[in-house]
Amino acid sequence: MEDAQLAALLVRRCVAGDAVAWEEIVQRYHRRIYNLCYRFAGSADDAQDLTQEVFIRMYRTLNSYDVGRGAFMTWVTTLTRNLLVDHFRKTKHDRLTDSLDATTSDHPDAMTLGDRIPDEGPPPDSGVQSRETKETVHEALQKLSPELREAVILRDLQDMDYREIATVLKVPEGTVKSRINRGRAELARLLQRTYRQVM
Amino acid sequence: MPGKEDNRMSCSEFDALLSQAIDGTLAGDRLSEFENHARVCKLCGPLLHEAEAGRSWLKSLTEVEPPDQLVSNILLRTSGVLSSRHVTGEHVPTSWLGRIRNWAGVLASPVVVMARQPRFAMSFGMAFFTLSVTLSLAGVKLSDLRHMDLRPSSIRRTYYETTGRVVKYYENIRFVYEIESRVRQFKEAATPAEQPSEQQNNNDRKNKTKNDTSGQPDQKQERNYSQEGNRPIFAASLPIYRGPEPVRFSTVGAPEPTVVSVTTCRRFS
Repeated sequence: MEDAQLAALLVRRCVAGDAVAWEEIVQRYHRRIYNLCYRFAGSADDAQDLTQEVFIRMYRTLNSYDVGRGAFMTWVTTLTRNLLVDHFRKTKHDRLTDSLDATTSDHPDAMTLGDRIPDEGPPPDSGVQSRETKETVHEALQKLSPELREAVILRDLQDMDYREIATVLKVPEGTVKSRINRGRAELARLLQRTYRQVM
Repeated sequence: MPGKEDNRMSCSEFDALLSQAIDGTLAGDRLSEFENHARVCKLCGPLLHEAEAGRSWLKSLTEVEPPDQLVSNILLRTSGVLSSRHVTGEHVPTSWLGRIRNWAGVLASPVVVMARQPRFAMSFGMAFFTLSVTLSLAGVKLSDLRHMDLRPSSIRRTYYETTGRVVKYYENIRFVYEIESRVRQFKEAATPAEQPSEQQNNNDRKNKTKNDTSGQPDQKQERNYSQEGNRPIFAASLPIYRGPEPVRFSTVGAPEPTVVSVTTCRRFS
């Protein structure tokens, strides 16, 4: 049985009141949703809270899911993305999401965000990525603007295709591709300044 | 020239094909044109390298492991039941003590899960802080509670002490004291109206004593005590003690006996 068919069957059973089917849905999708929340929100605590909120909202609105309108995973990702956007708006003042080339002052010679990231740290091994390197990449990901961040996360970490991403983000496929390319390039520029000798 | 159209591909076309080229889905003539433009154009060439590098960095991120209690938390907050997998997968103890412990664990686990969350821990902390501040303001010390004797006799004694303290406090209130003073004044003002009947009672008692032939002793002592209580005693009216005097015995026609003086010495210890 394919994933889409299995998910549709689980949803039908769950709407009918089958608690085991709901637990199966939670077991199948909680890891993916947690990772999406963690990469977007940046912290494990926020990711845990947001994952729970996603499943609470999913549990309440599961009967509104229409199998004919798209895959269950796309519907779940859309739900998660809407919640993440809400969370981002609520915590906007606590975050610094400017572009790498933006400066915090109006002075033309002021340091950019990329320049202020320290250069210290060991160079990444070509074969094995150390834990510190992954943390550096994760922190650099948080510096991207939310539009670019969500696009590269859905494409490169969640392995979704462009059409699904366009459905989730509610933008044309061309815009999705452009955001992914810009997001990748901006992340590389940030890390390039961190590990100049390697890149 | 950078940013300008070369022989076959423009920069906008290059940008549109960038994703396909990185994904490896671009082939044939379009791929060769794309690579040619990347070599020639000074804007698009670095962009291709940066996008490839960014993708490789992102692919280096591995999937993180969610917390262990995440699934049980989700199930508790949605369907309100614990995971059936966890319940069936656990070893069921056979002893009655183990069963009780297992049941207690099942019943307490939702509370423990809720209490572990930071927001509830913060609430508990604030409640404890408020309680401790209230107790300290009220003068209650936890060390006193620790040494409290819970025996029945001690509790009874504490009860009487507390009752006495409350009564004393009540009587010391200014308002109550003034009310009691007024009541006392009213009683004293009403007392002279009752004196004639009291004198009549005394006369009746005297007559009764005169006519009494029963031989019972008279209640003089009682009357004297009552008189002394009402009459003021002045120091001038008391007899002056002049010390011991010699005792003299004189008889007519008899020889005068020898004078004997008796002196008593009181020893104070």
